[in-house]
Amino acid sequence: MKTRQNDVVAEYLGEIDQRLAGIPVLQRRELLADLEAHIAAERAERNLASEGELIEVLERLGSPEVVAAAAHEEAGTRPKPPAPPHRRLWPWFAGAAAVLVVLVVCSFFLFFAQSSSNEQAPAEPAVTAPPAVEPTS
Amino acid sequence: MADVSQLSTSLRRGTLEFCVLSLVELEDRYGNEIVRRLGEEPNLAAGEGTIYPLLSRLRRSGWLESKWVESPSGPPRRYYGLTSDGRSALAHFRTEWVSFRQTVDRLVGTGEAA
Repeated sequence: MKTRQNDVVAEYLGEIDQRLAGIPVLQRRELLADLEAHIAAERAERNLASEGELIEVLERLGSPEVVAAAAHEEAGTRPKPPAPPHRRLWPWFAGAAAVLVVLVVCSFFLFFAQSSSNEQAPAEPAVTAPPAVEPTS
Repeated sequence: MADVSQLSTSLRRGTLEFCVLSLVELEDRYGNEIVRRLGEEPNLAAGEGTIYPLLSRLRRSGWLESKWVESPSGPPRRYYGLTSDGRSALAHFRTEWVSFRQTVDRLVGTGEAA
């Protein structure tokens, strides 16, 4: 139970930290230490027992976006968008790699089939797919 | 709705820091106390966590000083107090604010009927 609560706090502080890029390192550490001390003091002084009560404390502090935006405003820096663009790229790479593998495997089998049956008529040229029927709209 | 929250953000900017300074004018207070007190005011509330970056800036600009103090019940507390620069900044704000408020009241028609 205690560790799950620490998880919530660590996750919350981590989300804020991610959004503080561009702020001088000591100010970042100071803010995270202040927030951590705030949460620890609330827990100790108000005897918070449940995760729900702890989440209320975090909600009153504000979302990571709101807190980080305030930090950027005070520091005179611009919030940088977090890194999701990179994360969105990898499925495309994975997809492209999969297509490539399929193509290589297909051409290998085609080549193998042709060379092992050269007494038969040469393999028919690749069947050209009939033009897709365009839905008339 | 966006305009309403934009307005309160604009009004808060430039005034909230003096509310913070006046909270520690008479006695030092620690972060949770300051934040809790401001959180009770619906016009000022923008997430209690947004106060800490403000406290940091006020300390770096020399208006507040802070010290960590052991607490009888829990982790160490960071107490904030007014420096002499902070005290004169607050005094200056008070005179500016009164004449500013009177001007706005007169132009916008929000003053006492007089």
